[in-house]
Amino acid sequence: MAKRIILSIIAFAAALFPLAAQQPPGGAKGTVLDRSDRSPIAGARVEIFKEGRSGGAVAANEEGLFLLEGYDDGDWAILVTAPGYLPAQLNITIAGSVRDLFTVGLTPSKAAEASADGSDFTEFDLADTGYSDAPTVLFANDVYSSIVGFDFGNVRFKNRGYNSETQDVLLSGVKLNDAITGYSPWSLWSGLNEITRSKVTTNSMEASDFMLGGYNGVTNIFANPSSVRKGLRVSALTNSAMYRLRLMLTYASGKLDNGWSYALSASARFGGNDWVQGVFYRSLAYYAGVEKTFGDAHTLSLFTLATPGIRGTQNASTQEVYDLMGDNMYNSNWGYQNGKRRNSRMRKTFEPITVLKYEYTPSDRFSSRTTLLWRTGLNGYTALDWYDAQDPRPDYYRNLPSFAYMEEEDIDRSNPDKAEWMRYAWTASSSEFDKYRHVDWDHLYDVNASNPDGRSKYAQEERHVDQNDINLAENIKWRASDLFTLTAGVSLKWNRTENYKKMCDLLGGKYFLNIDSFAERDFAVSEAKVQNDLDYWMAHGEAEKIKTGGKYGYDYIAQVRRANLWANGNFTAGNFFAYVGLSAGYDAFWREGLLRKGLFAGTDENGRDIIIDGVNLTTRDSKGRVVSSKGKSEVCRFFSYSAKARAGYTFVGGHRIWADAGFFNDAPTFNEAFISPRTRNTVMEGITTKKTVSADVNYQLSHNGYNARVSLYYTRIWDQSDVMSFYDDSQHSFTNFAMTGISQRHMGLELGLTVPLPLPGLSISGVLSLGEHIYNSKPHMVQTVDNSAEIVRDEDVTWWDRTPIFKIAGYSQDGKPIYDQDIDGNFIITGYKKHYVPGSPQLAAELAINYNIKYWFFEINGQYFARSFLDMNPLYRTDYACKGGDSNPGIIEEMTAQEEFAPAFILNASVGKSWFVKGNQLGFSLSLNNMTNNKNVKTGGYEQTRLIASSGKDRYYRFDPKYFYMPGFNYMLNLYFRF
Amino acid sequence: MKKFVYSLALACLLLPACDIEPLYIESDLNWKKTEPQTLQPTHTIRELAAMYQTGKPFVVNTDLIIGGQVISTDQPGNFYKSLYLQDATAGIELKIGRNGLYNDYKQGQWVYVNCRDLSIGMYGFKTGNYGGSGMVQIGFSDPTGEYETSYIESPLLVDTRIARGPQDEVPEPIILARQFPSSSDSQATSSILGKLVTIKNMYYARENFALLYLDSTKDKKLYTNRVFLSDTNGAVGDDKTHGITTWAMSKSKMTEYLCAGLWDACKIGSGSTFTGQTLADFRGDGSYPGVEKAAYSISQYFRAGQQEIQVRTSGFCKFADLEIPEDVLSGRRALDMTGILTIYQGSLQLIVNSQDDWRYADTGEKVYP
Repeated sequence: MAKRIILSIIAFAAALFPLAAQQPPGGAKGTVLDRSDRSPIAGARVEIFKEGRSGGAVAANEEGLFLLEGYDDGDWAILVTAPGYLPAQLNITIAGSVRDLFTVGLTPSKAAEASADGSDFTEFDLADTGYSDAPTVLFANDVYSSIVGFDFGNVRFKNRGYNSETQDVLLSGVKLNDAITGYSPWSLWSGLNEITRSKVTTNSMEASDFMLGGYNGVTNIFANPSSVRKGLRVSALTNSAMYRLRLMLTYASGKLDNGWSYALSASARFGGNDWVQGVFYRSLAYYAGVEKTFGDAHTLSLFTLATPGIRGTQNASTQEVYDLMGDNMYNSNWGYQNGKRRNSRMRKTFEPITVLKYEYTPSDRFSSRTTLLWRTGLNGYTALDWYDAQDPRPDYYRNLPSFAYMEEEDIDRSNPDKAEWMRYAWTASSSEFDKYRHVDWDHLYDVNASNPDGRSKYAQEERHVDQNDINLAENIKWRASDLFTLTAGVSLKWNRTENYKKMCDLLGGKYFLNIDSFAERDFAVSEAKVQNDLDYWMAHGEAEKIKTGGKYGYDYIAQVRRANLWANGNFTAGNFFAYVGLSAGYDAFWREGLLRKGLFAGTDENGRDIIIDGVNLTTRDSKGRVVSSKGKSEVCRFFSYSAKARAGYTFVGGHRIWADAGFFNDAPTFNEAFISPRTRNTVMEGITTKKTVSADVNYQLSHNGYNARVSLYYTRIWDQSDVMSFYDDSQHSFTNFAMTGISQRHMGLELGLTVPLPLPGLSISGVLSLGEHIYNSKPHMVQTVDNSAEIVRDEDVTWWDRTPIFKIAGYSQDGKPIYDQDIDGNFIITGYKKHYVPGSPQLAAELAINYNIKYWFFEINGQYFARSFLDMNPLYRTDYACKGGDSNPGIIEEMTAQEEFAPAFILNASVGKSWFVKGNQLGFSLSLNNMTNNKNVKTGGYEQTRLIASSGKDRYYRFDPKYFYMPGFNYMLNLYFRF
Repeated sequence: MKKFVYSLALACLLLPACDIEPLYIESDLNWKKTEPQTLQPTHTIRELAAMYQTGKPFVVNTDLIIGGQVISTDQPGNFYKSLYLQDATAGIELKIGRNGLYNDYKQGQWVYVNCRDLSIGMYGFKTGNYGGSGMVQIGFSDPTGEYETSYIESPLLVDTRIARGPQDEVPEPIILARQFPSSSDSQATSSILGKLVTIKNMYYARENFALLYLDSTKDKKLYTNRVFLSDTNGAVGDDKTHGITTWAMSKSKMTEYLCAGLWDACKIGSGSTFTGQTLADFRGDGSYPGVEKAAYSISQYFRAGQQEIQVRTSGFCKFADLEIPEDVLSGRRALDMTGILTIYQGSLQLIVNSQDDWRYADTGEKVYP
């Protein structure tokens, strides 16, 4: 089917050739440059108008070059727009030839130098790859996306509420979203802002030249040496909410007369910040590239980049902890060791990327790019590990006053005196109490040192997700005529990711024993069952004694293979424009266990059960299948396909309307398919491809300095799956919730506008994002634990998508509601509260005043965010957790409700200026954020997947959720020199 | 001048970056070591126990200090969240409420407890003909009244009230053969309760104690949720062992026994509260889903002379599933057992630290070498 459509498109394009042959010779060409430093602006949109009617549009290439051909003689207007720049309009006369406009300069609209570079400290406990914290909105080619992309990063705004996995991020034409999780990969090049500045971003379902893309835009970062702005550039940045100092040095030759280009860049980020204690950056970044153009048609480029470094991370805590500390930015990850701060959770990365790219451009009408990309290296995340010892985390729930006393009398926590002792440890002002509020490193060393045989009871582990990722991507662009352009491509991915943990620090001990401390709780009597490496134990008669650097715990390889074929036909006829795109893909992935765990020993090489000391270590699941930790799992295979289209029309006066529609059928990722990859090969039952339908209608105005865009969108996603894992101390094991059948519906309104005011350079701008992003299904959940192949729970998550509201007939004397019942005795439901997709405010607005004059810019803006929701866990929404709800429906309301964060108002300002001195340029930008010092803005969080039983065990209560907050007043100052 | 302006601008920028705090990134073996503390006891354990009056737990409001050596270890898992101290006069349980205590409090180490703000109470006292004394303990107050003391738990309280002293040799156990405490004794009246003892010549009493629960999500105190495999309930003829030949049972071992159907005849409830149901009524498709997930307790009875002693072993300890040797089960051989002697409702109990604490009485060899 897809083949037929592609052939039809090509045939249609061929039919248009005669038209192309008759086109008039007139046109315009030029280079779009940044007026502040005269660097090319790749991807700038250049649109030509006659009497207010669009004659077509092109995007500037990596060198900022554009070419508009085939226009009649006469007076035309050209509108040039780019993200982060004020639009420019030129009036030209075409007279029988392509007129060379030389350069078109655009003025930066904001302090682009101070833009985010993907740096972040927050980490969720199990996000081992560390990519979930990436910026989620980029600025694309319209007023709405520009403002949202620059200004809403502080609240982790997500475009239309979509997950970051839905945003396709390409480096030099190769999609680099993480092969295992799908997360966007910003941390791979954070700190290399000068190198990655040249990029093209498309919005939502807009067509891209580099892949079909999904429904959340495509960003392609060029990164080849000739795309880096020419010259030497030095910048230094300091800020109070991220790291102390960033230094960047970049030199690019530009394209030399001999066809060579080269570019070098290095940067360093150091220090912590004013708001979160214990965090720090010690990260470098480098880039080196060389490029050669052979003749007019062939260009070969080679470059490598990496961001080696270490950063100390921030953790989320409960509100009880924040209140005890009087600080919503409290970080439980660090503590004092001999008087110095030490963070237990550090991200250590060194993942170099090497790219070889060949471009073939035989004519203005045809170009081809072939990219071979190799990513490799190490990605580690440290954490405390311990065996048969007290939990060393200061905010462990048993160390909190609420563990001893809660006001709820139904919970068996009724010891206020004990709670007071716990409270005092957290709130006393003396530094001698620091060991209760932070990690007590000295005690961990004491414990290890006191073991006569040198066995460490505490250690610092390093969880690794080390990728080897080889990609080959080919894409072509064929401008068959002025009416039709075909872009198409094929991509192949080979990914081998080893997941393991190694010993980072024995904390004064001599070795750590490689046994499963969680398994030991249930299987203490079976030495074989508690082995992490049963083969070693059988060969040596004892568990391995792990030294620093040794692998232990788990070790498996995630293998991913992916192929994708896509094509996109763009049509332009008069003021009408349209495209149709199709793609087809094949995904395969499997797990290869490198260790044989005692709990899931599998069978021996002859397929026989493994029996040791009379204990059969071979376990089987409920269907009788052997559950194994070692060897190759079944191969998960998925065929995917997508289609999308756009049609639009440009009216007189710079008005455009268009509509997009698409259907996407995407393969699940590795981490969505295996229920517990650390321990076994078991794949989630019923996993299938994710389906998405999406549509939007849009209106855009670009006229006389007025810019506006209004969009309405609707997206439905279904058949999603997810696996959540966490340590459950009631089970004394990691427990896994595997959910299938998750559906979401996203719909909303986007509005962006810029209005010039009578004073030259003065304008106001604003955006409004109003969405309703909800869950709309009852997924199925299977709960398992790492200690057993047994299914602990297998049921629908009844209340995943909504909370019922029961009719209240009155109130008892003690003020408790009495719920109304119908004649059959059923409680009456009067309505439902929807459950929302978390992670981003569903109402976000900004109003800004901008003033630009003589290379000065000023902006002050006010932002309002509301309708943000807490990430839900499935357990609370099951009938199991709502036990007692059949007699007291208030329990159901209480257990299933979703927390909505309080709205927030944020006031920000920025100022910038650049000077030219003898051909050199000096500039600065300063942004002042959250000037009202609002320290109560929640930016995210999650519910703990734990239940508290009532004293009579007749119902459950929730554990407190954990939150992340936005820093209070903070600044960012950037100083740059260009020579 | 321009250079000066540039330099000044750069300096302004870099100044805030100079406050980078000292921090560790790589491994460092420098840490502030905790030195042993020695306090002067104001009371002996026996004197402290004597301050307790039955049924009247009290909170100490003076600097009442006791000192003793650690005689228990939770490493093999038979002790949980508490430790036993003994001095020359008696032994006492200190309910700290944290796991992995052996990492901080090693056997033989001197430990001093300033009992200020701590609660002294008794566990295991029961009135009536079948009752008797229990053990005086040190813990924290329990306002619910369910127990006389609760776990201390607060790290601050643990650190400020319990001082870790110097390491010493583990005290030699007291050898017991015939002289046992009576059912009304406590540490105030017996110098061996709560202490490390070796009881000679213990013979298997051919009886065990097992308590199962039907549903982990229901109250453990409900008689409808309890199954006692003790005495004759579910016994086959005169055999009160219920087929159990291990010291205790791990979860998997218990499930193995349960699913074999050995206990199907056991009645639900106890004494006059039998519900009329048996365990067989809770059997599902080859398993007992509720019972398997719930807690349970299993232990064995031995006799030293006429004195019956319950040997308490946790299902979570590493030696729970060890088989009691056949010649011991049959009564042909006796064991010498070393452990901490306690009293519960007037009945003596012995809690061993490890499997090395069981030796054959005739040869002195370890039962589990």
